[in-house]
Amino acid sequence: MNGKESLIRVEDLKKEFVGVHALNGVSVEIKRGEVVFVVGPSGSGKSTFLRCLNRLEDPTGGHIYFDGVDLMDGKININKHRQKMGMVFQHFNLFPHMTVLKNMTIAPMKLQGTGKEEAEQEAMKLLERVGLADRANAYPSQLSGGQKQRVAIVRALCMKPEVMLFDEPTSALDPEMVGEVLQVMGELAKENMTMVVVTHEMGFAREVAHRVLFMADGQILEEAPPQEFFGNPKNERLKAFLSKVI
Amino acid sequence: MLQELQDKFYLNFIDDNRWAYLTNGLKTTLIVTLFAVLLGIAIGFLVAVVRSTCDKTGKLRILNALCKLYLTVIRGTPVVVQLLIIYFVIFGSVKIDKVFVAILAFGLNSGAYVAEIIRSGIMSIDNGQFEAGRSLGFNYVQTMTYIVLPQALKNVLPALGNEFIVLLKETSVAGYIIRSRTYDAFMPLIAVALIYLVMVLAFSKLLNLLERRLRNSER
Ligand SMILES: Nc1ncnc2c1ncn2[C@@H]1O[C@H](COP(=O)(O)OP(=O)(O)OP(=O)(O)O)[C@@H](O)[C@H]1O
Ligand SMILES: [Mg+2]
Repeated sequence: MNGKESLIRVEDLKKEFVGVHALNGVSVEIKRGEVVFVVGPSGSGKSTFLRCLNRLEDPTGGHIYFDGVDLMDGKININKHRQKMGMVFQHFNLFPHMTVLKNMTIAPMKLQGTGKEEAEQEAMKLLERVGLADRANAYPSQLSGGQKQRVAIVRALCMKPEVMLFDEPTSALDPEMVGEVLQVMGELAKENMTMVVVTHEMGFAREVAHRVLFMADGQILEEAPPQEFFGNPKNERLKAFLSKVI
Repeated sequence: MLQELQDKFYLNFIDDNRWAYLTNGLKTTLIVTLFAVLLGIAIGFLVAVVRSTCDKTGKLRILNALCKLYLTVIRGTPVVVQLLIIYFVIFGSVKIDKVFVAILAFGLNSGAYVAEIIRSGIMSIDNGQFEAGRSLGFNYVQTMTYIVLPQALKNVLPALGNEFIVLLKETSVAGYIIRSRTYDAFMPLIAVALIYLVMVLAFSKLLNLLERRLRNSER
């Protein structure tokens, strides 16, 4: 969490689904190397916020500056910028018709022109780091939930992203598999990866986050470093929320 | 009784080299089916991609409307009528190869069914697959090509195989415009039935093998 350089700046972000205001003007700045957690009640707009960051969801208003470029600008090629924003989903979304290795190498090979050998070497290195080198030729259906999510994380890392977005990465896992995924995420955070994490794992947030955002009704009602966020919350909604989840 | 059967057999197949009609008919059926299948796949694939692109992104509205019209007309009228219309109405005033007309009619017909089968396959793929592709930086076409379509096609392979068997059998009605010779019904019809049965069984067997191969690649 060294430099002060801003990587993502969100200004007055709005998203309306037919009749539902999911985001009501969210502004936030995320610095390079910063680990930001987003918590809040169900339906508060956390996923929508995260999915707007790489425009998987098209915002209806506001600006997202990523590395200085306004992603809301119609003239930019969003696919180029998405390559720099890794995303990890609640339900893994591995490609079931490809081996683990192919899952990891297809994007670098097709999008960044990386040679097969180099892409596979890179992928194997990452697999080793998350303890899955022996599963390289397995298909996703042959993996446990925790293994799938670890593969999903390293699949995103293969693109050498500048930020990793996580949407409840452990919510679909059996309890005994949560730890292995959190461990991988913790290591990433230590290596200064910029991370935005939506989660219900409050203990993990307290341990790893540099800053925690509380979201409710499509707005950020409080943001603070974890000690303060959990130890001395100010917003009434946040107090009520914390008393329920902790 | 036996003698009578023998006579009929002789009359229908041997005399006047009539067996040649059968083998020629078989050849024509296979040619028509083969090219109609190819045409049907091409049309069906394009229509399915247009339809699901419109469903997913809201683009290609006009093309989508045309596709819907095509699907409604083709699926709402009998194939024999379509065949006759193409032969007697559309190409009524020009001299044209009947086999070509049959390929065109059955290809157009099959395309509509193939389109809906492939579209259902695309729709059956979890949207998370699509999103995972896009989040890695693949554009719409790449995501479809590398991620969605391979899974969709694999899922609908049995339904596609079934459609081709139907097509193979349907092409027999092309005989209406191609020829009818002897007025004895029994022998030629039984022979034709047997030939179709053998072809369909063989094709089903092939399809089964292919499906098993594909499934093994995933487990
Ligand atoms: N595709 C959609 N169409 C319509 N409404 C949607 C859509 N996606 C989300 N919403 C609505 O937007 C609001 C915010 O949803 P979102 O999924 O962002 O909440 P969340 O904070 O991630 O909740 P959870 O903790 O349950 O995942 C909700 O009211 C939801 O019903
Ligand atoms: Mg959510």
